[in-house]
Amino acid sequence: MAEVNQTVDCKGLSCPMPILKLAKGIKTLEVGQVLELLATDPGSKPDVPAWCEKTGNELIEATEEEGVYKYYIRRVK
Amino acid sequence: MGEKGSARELFDTFFGKAWPMWVGAILLAIGNTWLFLIKHPWGGTGSYVNWGQHIYQGLGVIFKDVTPISKSPIATMNLLVVLGAFCASLLAREFALRIPPAGELSKGLIGGALMGIGATIGAGCTIGGFFSGWSALSGGAIILVIGFTIGIIFALRYLFWEMEKFPKLSSGGKSFLSGVGKKGVWQPWLGIIVLLVLIIYNCLRFKESNVMTWFAVLGIWFGIVCQRSRFCITRALREPFMTGESTAPVGLMAGLLIGIFGFTIIKYMGISAYTPMAACELAMTWIYPNFWVRGLVGGFIFGIGMTVAGGCAIGTLWRAGEGQVKLWLAAIGYMLMAPISKKYIVPGFKSLPEWAQKKVFLPDVLGSYVSAIVIFLVIIALWYLFVKWNEKTGKFSAV
Repeated sequence: MAEVNQTVDCKGLSCPMPILKLAKGIKTLEVGQVLELLATDPGSKPDVPAWCEKTGNELIEATEEEGVYKYYIRRVK
Repeated sequence: MGEKGSARELFDTFFGKAWPMWVGAILLAIGNTWLFLIKHPWGGTGSYVNWGQHIYQGLGVIFKDVTPISKSPIATMNLLVVLGAFCASLLAREFALRIPPAGELSKGLIGGALMGIGATIGAGCTIGGFFSGWSALSGGAIILVIGFTIGIIFALRYLFWEMEKFPKLSSGGKSFLSGVGKKGVWQPWLGIIVLLVLIIYNCLRFKESNVMTWFAVLGIWFGIVCQRSRFCITRALREPFMTGESTAPVGLMAGLLIGIFGFTIIKYMGISAYTPMAACELAMTWIYPNFWVRGLVGGFIFGIGMTVAGGCAIGTLWRAGEGQVKLWLAAIGYMLMAPISKKYIVPGFKSLPEWAQKKVFLPDVLGSYVSAIVIFLVIIALWYLFVKWNEKTGKFSAV
């Protein structure tokens, strides 16, 4: 697993806040750095990969641990 | 692959991952056509008004002699949408209580209250006014969507401003989860039990009434479809102005096309299954006095409400069913405000001149069903071109 540069905690938040916070968070990173997004909204499962594809950022890994969805996203551009 | 493996694969097809939104939209449009054939199409606000009136009646204020929920097809149906979504989230092991911070909870309540006001002024929400309204070839339904869109753009600006200035209002971390992940093996079993109980109970309870049985069973089904496909009209209208993604709007368009096709057959041919109706009465079904001032004002307020709350009339219900506490507050706000607005605010709008609150059935105005359908096809085609162009260029997307 790549080193995490920033964690955005969206546990408990519902749509659209996780995506809004992800979009805001990724802008604070340098290209190549990695953001960890923690969410509990099941909507994040289709939304986060779709957002990464749309914006051209790289979804390195998506896992689930005790109901918390964890996404690792590398800023590409 | 053994039999157990095949059964697992079948189960996972339905409950392993989210269904695409277009699948949900098409299934709902087919179900909605069926509802119309039985009695009347799907709506949201009528149920919130009824539930809210019961709350006030329980408190002994403002309303009395309220229609019992079991006598209102739509109030019964939408209650079962919540429970159907609850079952679907259990079957998919996605049920959990998700508690956001107080700032988000208040946004749920305020957003819900705004939806209650907007839907009663605009004579329609995203489901009855838009999803069913477009299918019913209503002119006011087009105005309503213009109102929603302006409201969404306005509310998104607010959300960005709030995130910058008051990030603590929407800070994450406060979440209480119950038995999800590996600990959640019990969830699908409970889901199956609750689902069977709901179906059997409602079929027995309404055995005297075909109409109520259909509305009840379709309510459970709609709840399952909404939760699995994450059917969200808020998202479909909002996404071009947020991420620019086009899957939700295109999914919704697929449902609208099916709905327009199904409803037109019913209206044009004058078909009704259990509830005999005159052809002209059937044609005017789900055509409300929201062309154009009421539709625009109500739609604008509703658009703000649904964006702040994170779900429209139905998006709120199925999310409430999967344990999203913010949407519980949105539902409460909606229930508390819709009857009050209907009783005290709407009469003010009813005193507007006739041109501000017309019932517009497009085939009547344009002279034929064909012209009305062409208008909707052109609007949907332009909307499609817009979302696809915007997806590529990002001209209107904020993030």
